[in-house]
Amino acid sequence: MMSLCLPATLDSLDEIGKYVVAATSEAGLDTKPAYGLRLAVDEIATNIITHGYEEAGIDGNISISAELTASTLKIVIEDTGIPFDPLSRKLPGEDILNLPLEERDIGGLGIFLVLKGVDDFSYVFTDGKNRNIFVMNLAGHN
Amino acid sequence: MTIETKVDGINVIATVTGEIDGKSAPQVQSELLAALQDGNRLLVDMKGVTFLSSAGLRMLLLLYRQIAAKKGKVVLVGVSEEIRDTMSMTGFINFFTLSDSQEEGLKALS
Repeated sequence: MMSLCLPATLDSLDEIGKYVVAATSEAGLDTKPAYGLRLAVDEIATNIITHGYEEAGIDGNISISAELTASTLKIVIEDTGIPFDPLSRKLPGEDILNLPLEERDIGGLGIFLVLKGVDDFSYVFTDGKNRNIFVMNLAGHN
Repeated sequence: MTIETKVDGINVIATVTGEIDGKSAPQVQSELLAALQDGNRLLVDMKGVTFLSSAGLRMLLLLYRQIAAKKGKVVLVGVSEEIRDTMSMTGFINFFTLSDSQEEGLKALS
């Protein structure tokens, strides 16, 4: 699939979502794994746009590409916002997830959903760019 | 994303359609909070909601807190299987009443 380059604003979330849906449909992923991947990409893209650009007062773009092989669908998001490794954040454990909603701190749920939604997630910072990489194994998911 | 609200006796029925993400969640939140009546009995029809991110969970959390503080009730109707999965894995599902239809939801509110 052709990669897509969009302004790093929340308005771009729609287009990013459509891109992932098209990629999962081309890969023949089942509904649930397709939704999990779409959710994972949305969570990371939202973090990049909100924390990497808007709160930092930086303008820029976010690009998304998809690569389909015989065994995997890989989605890569690249941006030049503030370097941020999503995996550096502490994830909520069972103790937090079982707390009554009155006492919950919502932080970290996005990354938790990313890791639940995809078969592999990784982050690298190279050539001045954040690269967030999402991989779905096709076997068993289609 | 659209939100329609109507008042049915002491209940407020809000029908949300579309995707609830980082862009739309704040709008859904402010419209639902604004629609709340004194009785704080709210039915949110989510049959037309096709996507809900953690921004949507945050919105549900704030709504829940607001209503719980006033001893009100909230019921979610027609939540898709994928969104139920998200609510289950994050523990949210235990705190909400979910119904399949508005009729059933209204019974749960009363």
